[in-house]
Amino acid sequence: MFRQLSCQVTEPGFHALFGPSGVGKTTLAKMIAGDITEFSGDINLHRIRHVLYTYNLERLPGWYCIREHLEAITPKSNRQRMTELVDSFGLQSCLDSRFAQLSLGQQNRTNLARYLLQDFDLLIMDESLANVDEITKEKIILKIKSLFPERCFLYISHNVVEVSKFCKQIVVLRNQYKAPQAVTLHGQDYNGRRTLKQTELEQIMLEIVNAS
Amino acid sequence: MLHRRVYQFLIIYFIGLGTLMLVKYSLNLSDYTIPGVSEIWTTCRRYFGLYLMAVLNTLCVAILGHLLSICMATVVGIIGRLTIWIGSFIRVAAYNIQAYPIVAVAPIIFILLGDGLSSRLLIAAMICYFPLLLSFIGILSEPVQEIEHFFESTRRMNWRLQVKIRAFENIHKLITVIVGSATLAMVGTIVAEFIAASAGIGYSIRIALYQSDLAKILVALFLIGVCTSVYLVFLEWLGWFIKRRLGSI
Repeated sequence: MFRQLSCQVTEPGFHALFGPSGVGKTTLAKMIAGDITEFSGDINLHRIRHVLYTYNLERLPGWYCIREHLEAITPKSNRQRMTELVDSFGLQSCLDSRFAQLSLGQQNRTNLARYLLQDFDLLIMDESLANVDEITKEKIILKIKSLFPERCFLYISHNVVEVSKFCKQIVVLRNQYKAPQAVTLHGQDYNGRRTLKQTELEQIMLEIVNAS
Repeated sequence: MLHRRVYQFLIIYFIGLGTLMLVKYSLNLSDYTIPGVSEIWTTCRRYFGLYLMAVLNTLCVAILGHLLSICMATVVGIIGRLTIWIGSFIRVAAYNIQAYPIVAVAPIIFILLGDGLSSRLLIAAMICYFPLLLSFIGILSEPVQEIEHFFESTRRMNWRLQVKIRAFENIHKLITVIVGSATLAMVGTIVAEFIAASAGIGYSIRIALYQSDLAKILVALFLIGVCTSVYLVFLEWLGWFIKRRLGSI
């Protein structure tokens, strides 16, 4: 799948892994997370001890309601953060429901929230905000960026606009017959506090499309 | 649910009885070969109470055997789900041993344990144990990746949680298998009693067979069918109740 692939993310923040379907984004993510171990080559993680990988098809056990599950899996040190995340992710109304009773968007938000309540240095979010409307998605990403400025995120998405707008470094993965197989670009890293430069955003989007 | 299942059994039973009568009267067979309706009715009135107690005796042993086999299948299924050598060994052993007919081993059990309760119980349990075991091993060794991933990534996974997740996710299958194996438990007990036991409806059928008394056998079959139907309906209700409590329906 990968041939002489080389890429790096150099600082904490909200970064993206972008590329067409089947190019190996999920495989690379699983290799970084340690879920896939049989490969040649090296993945070097500096100052990153806990890597978590989450994807949009995950489910919560059905015997709990959301509140019980979140309380059971949240470390004591993060209890305060739980309330904050529940509020900003719009999960208040879901707390007494079971996972299967939620809409797809609510399910994805709940799943992401429980990962954010864990101790991690790098969180890989594989299409974790699929089926979430644009306004809520923006609110969630901005909240993540403000709550965890020192952590590293790798956001896998097919949405070129949100990747260009919110991400700091964008690793564009290409198929194995293209050289180099990965190209790193810089996004707008929008955090909600400054005005977005429309022309620069369009420029980045064009670069991403051309690179992929 | 109860009336439907009993109703279905009664239809099948009386179709069978009707066919027998059709054969009897069309071939002009004697009452000795196939008894008439009045003789069956007389036998029924005479032996109903006795046979009902015998069927209830058999049913009690079948239920105990069923419970025993569920416990055994759960324990062995939990060990068999392991990816290390012992899990693999148990899976292979279970597939190989279940191919061997338990009825063929039954005489050895009777020789070793006698014709009492323990032999009937053991044979009943063994006859419904292997189908249960294969399903339990299959269900418990199949990862539910989309739920287990979180607990594995956050290092919270332990064997109890893993079993709980897999059992919960497959609760419909588990209940179907348990209900299905209840019939086997009843069959196993009757077979055991038929071979060598000294109590139960299987034993009564064996006596009736030696006497060539088809009327008694028909009465026994009627009571077995009704009692088994009631037991199956009870298990289905229990399954429905469990699923409801777990929020699965």
